[in-house]
Amino acid sequence: MATVSKVSDKWVLVIDDMEGMRAQLRMSLSSSGFAKLHVVSSIKEALERFAAHQYDVILCDYSLGDSTNGQQFLEYLRTNDLIKRNAIFVMITAEQSYAKVVAASECAPDDYLLKPFTAAQFNIRLEKLLERQAFFSAIDQAADKKNWARMITECDKLIASRDKYFFDLCKIKGVALVRDNRVQQAVDFYRELLAMRPLGWAKLGLARALARLNERVEAERLAREILHEMPQFMAAYDFLGGLMTESGDKNAALEVLLKAREIAPGTMNRIRELSTLAVSMGKPELAESVMRETLIQHKHSPVRQANDYAVLSRALLDQGKTQEALTVVQDAKKSFSDKQSQLALAVTECGVHRAAGNDELAHAALERAMADADSGSCSADALVAMADACFALGREEEATRLLEQAVQNNHEDAAIKDKVHAALVAAGRDASEATALIEASAAEVIRLNNEGVRRAQAGELAEAIELLSDAADRLPNNLQILGNAALVIALDLARNGKDADKLSRCRIYRESLLKKSPDHPKLEQIDGMLRQAKV
Amino acid sequence: MHDVKNQLAELALRLRKRGDAQQEMTIAMNAFHRLTEMLLLQRDDGEQLWVNADSVNPADFLEMLASEYTELFPDISIQLDVERAPACAFFDDALVRMALGNALHNACRHARARVQLAAFERSNMLVLEVCDDGTGFPESLLSTGGKSPAATSVAGTGLGLYLAHKIAGLHKLQDQCGYIELSNLSGGQFRMVLP
Repeated sequence: MATVSKVSDKWVLVIDDMEGMRAQLRMSLSSSGFAKLHVVSSIKEALERFAAHQYDVILCDYSLGDSTNGQQFLEYLRTNDLIKRNAIFVMITAEQSYAKVVAASECAPDDYLLKPFTAAQFNIRLEKLLERQAFFSAIDQAADKKNWARMITECDKLIASRDKYFFDLCKIKGVALVRDNRVQQAVDFYRELLAMRPLGWAKLGLARALARLNERVEAERLAREILHEMPQFMAAYDFLGGLMTESGDKNAALEVLLKAREIAPGTMNRIRELSTLAVSMGKPELAESVMRETLIQHKHSPVRQANDYAVLSRALLDQGKTQEALTVVQDAKKSFSDKQSQLALAVTECGVHRAAGNDELAHAALERAMADADSGSCSADALVAMADACFALGREEEATRLLEQAVQNNHEDAAIKDKVHAALVAAGRDASEATALIEASAAEVIRLNNEGVRRAQAGELAEAIELLSDAADRLPNNLQILGNAALVIALDLARNGKDADKLSRCRIYRESLLKKSPDHPKLEQIDGMLRQAKV
Repeated sequence: MHDVKNQLAELALRLRKRGDAQQEMTIAMNAFHRLTEMLLLQRDDGEQLWVNADSVNPADFLEMLASEYTELFPDISIQLDVERAPACAFFDDALVRMALGNALHNACRHARARVQLAAFERSNMLVLEVCDDGTGFPESLLSTGGKSPAATSVAGTGLGLYLAHKIAGLHKLQDQCGYIELSNLSGGQFRMVLP
């Protein structure tokens, strides 16, 4: 290979369950000059390697024994940000048909190699991919930092030359525009591209952007057009299914997801969508069969989540299979030890016990869940689930408090407000009463926030800091409060000089905001103020 | 059938590793390619053959395609003519790779010493060309232009051509659609023309 000096610095990971293939790849890679090479035979080993290393090139077989396949593993890696965007992920497969499905999925590999392949073929492919990796490195770095604006700038620099990567750059830019909330700009951009060439991904990009602008009819029309022309365009099923669910047309959503299931073994995300949807539509048998099959297939695989077992348990419960539902939860409790999982499973267990008439056990399970909820860092979904359980056990006051917390943590999020509303109505509250409760909860946060900002503007920084810090500690998921708390402390530091305690508190809020919303506009203001404070 | 196909591929791999069974490997590899085509044809019958066109750099595409066959045919020199190729063309990489791979495979089998791959534009269409210096296509194939799967008499060549014809035809843009051209110049000349 021509680029030997460069490749010797690249870290490579090979994941293949077949001994012969591992040997072939090891030989090809070594003879091409790759020196930093790890070869593993399972996903479990691969994850251990990922914890210790950042790889530049990952070669993964599509079929890894009977368990999780390469595509599902890639989805897991990308969803959990376990590999850099710039890492080259090559799927190796013997099946032409799988290769096609994989290429048009939500989470596509950078390339795929059809078995059998020769050393020459492998080398030249890798050479092209490394060339591409170098070309895209600045953009990928911005992507890793979730700095969408920067990504767009970097794309624009390279797009101008209109070389062979022109359309790849456009693909990336379109996604970044939507992420950066420049949705109308994205629509115009995709329309321009489509006028040049009616490519599937550009059509889907346009559909996504239109959906964001609430132009659902046109978005749906485009997605259906893609699927009519290319029934293997898996990403279009996922988009259309989500769009139909959001529009409240669950039957249509289910139809779309089932159709996708006929074409390709589902990604975990799609299986989750499908089974949750089936439960909510009163089709527990379908949810059970889909989720059970999946969990058996992925036994011991890291791609499973506690919530998958919760959904299966719920599906069983809805069919009156109480004992089976309980067994599922109890088994899951053994495999998931983290707090969030334990909470989700405790809520599920509570529901199962209640259905079985064991109120005492139900209360005990709920207590366990609530103990974790006190930390205030629960997701809105977890809070709503706990509230449902509280209502079911007649613990109205606690239920209401949890729902208030869900609203106050996300007082600008309409989808969460809808969920809270639904939970209140399901518990027998009047719709207008539910709306009033949600508005009152949100209003309290707005009042707190405004008061803090007003005080800061009036120069009463100490009072503003106290107010907003208290609020931020109580509502650690409320981004606006978090941002303002960090900003007002930064302002104090800029005006009144350094203070180690204040600085560390400011940093905690800032980090928390950054983690929850990397492109939050307040971050720039906070950082600007911290620069003024010269800390 | 899928299993058999994959077993043939595995066999070809093992034979290659032995180093002393070049001919046997070629036989296994040929059988593998033939079976792959038959599987594709089966999908075509069930209307499962769909095109997902995306931007492809024809020069890189042909270079990678050539690399698949250099090892298989060490006595044939496979040359690239991509000077006139556009930076971006639009087609289904996987399908066209298979169709053109098949044409290249046949060209290598019938060539005396040399095969040339080329890409260029001709009245707004992309032309992907495979030329060999062999005896050329038999008259029966030239007359049907690969449009019939029945013309499989010539060592299976017809089947691959029929598939290539299908795959080209599935590439559509507005009122244009792709096609293949066969001719005999100083050997066989296969062209896939795509909108």
